[in-house]
Amino acid sequence: MEIKIMKNILDRNQNMADEIRDILTGKNVIMVNIISSPGAGKTTLLERTCERLVNKYRLGVIEGDVTTDRDAQRLKKYNIPIVVINTEGGCHLDSHSISKVLHLFDLENLDMLFVENVGNLICPTQFDLGETFKLAVVSTTEGDDKPAKYPMLFREARAVLLNKTDLLPYTNFNIENFRSDLNILNATIPLFEVSCTRGDGLEVWFRWISEQIRNN
Amino acid sequence: MHEIRIAEDLTAIVLEAAEKGNLSKVTRVNVSFGQLIQIVPDIFEFAFRETVRNTIAEDTEVTIEIVPARVKCLNCGSEFRLVEFQFACHKCGSTDLQIINGKELFVKSIEGE
Repeated sequence: MEIKIMKNILDRNQNMADEIRDILTGKNVIMVNIISSPGAGKTTLLERTCERLVNKYRLGVIEGDVTTDRDAQRLKKYNIPIVVINTEGGCHLDSHSISKVLHLFDLENLDMLFVENVGNLICPTQFDLGETFKLAVVSTTEGDDKPAKYPMLFREARAVLLNKTDLLPYTNFNIENFRSDLNILNATIPLFEVSCTRGDGLEVWFRWISEQIRNN
Repeated sequence: MHEIRIAEDLTAIVLEAAEKGNLSKVTRVNVSFGQLIQIVPDIFEFAFRETVRNTIAEDTEVTIEIVPARVKCLNCGSEFRLVEFQFACHKCGSTDLQIINGKELFVKSIEGE
């Protein structure tokens, strides 16, 4: 006997993500799902971004980490609401983990909620969190083949940030190859080439992310 | 590693459907995965075996259909199969493409007795 089902296996995650998206849209909050490998510079990017924009906009952060609250500790000094989700070994955040902590934020008084996903380029791409958009972060020390190897992230992200450009002279990262691989996947995607430690290129990023808030 | 979570969610759906359909044993699960979703079938099957252990689906076979990626050009309307992630229209060159197949993550049906 055969029983027809025809159902998305991740229906449960998707339904919750849709609910979260509705709530955030209703409260005019932008949620940015930041996805990268471990060590690409997500937390440093958030430090620089908070430093620069915390007096202009109301920011919040959800820190997804396998274990520890070290990333959250680094952001404490900006006096913004931060909630840590420890996935206890899990390789990605899902919409249910976001839903459990969303009530801890005063959404009426928030413009942008950054979600620092667990460092991983594959699994987080598969799980909609209810975000407004995904941001892909890569760094020059990882090699220039990331778009070719992990196409779905670069296809689905609204913007790509290439970090650690100050280290370019010490790596074999070929920036032309990187740009052309990205172009094949997503020709119109904005690419920010920055060094979060030295500050190179960050002004363009700040302007773009501010625009996202202002246009919301 | 997301194969584990997908296997867990699939197991929940399979067991619920089997209960509703009064099955005492699930013998086959038919799923369809899009070419673009980056699931490793072997890891998925391994994870699924673990999650169905000690259930009525313990001995089930799994049939995985891989759905090729297809896109539609939003500029000229032509549809074509995506080859090597070249996201540009074969006819007009536009990069404004919509993925119509390849992101499936479906459970189609279960079989049992």
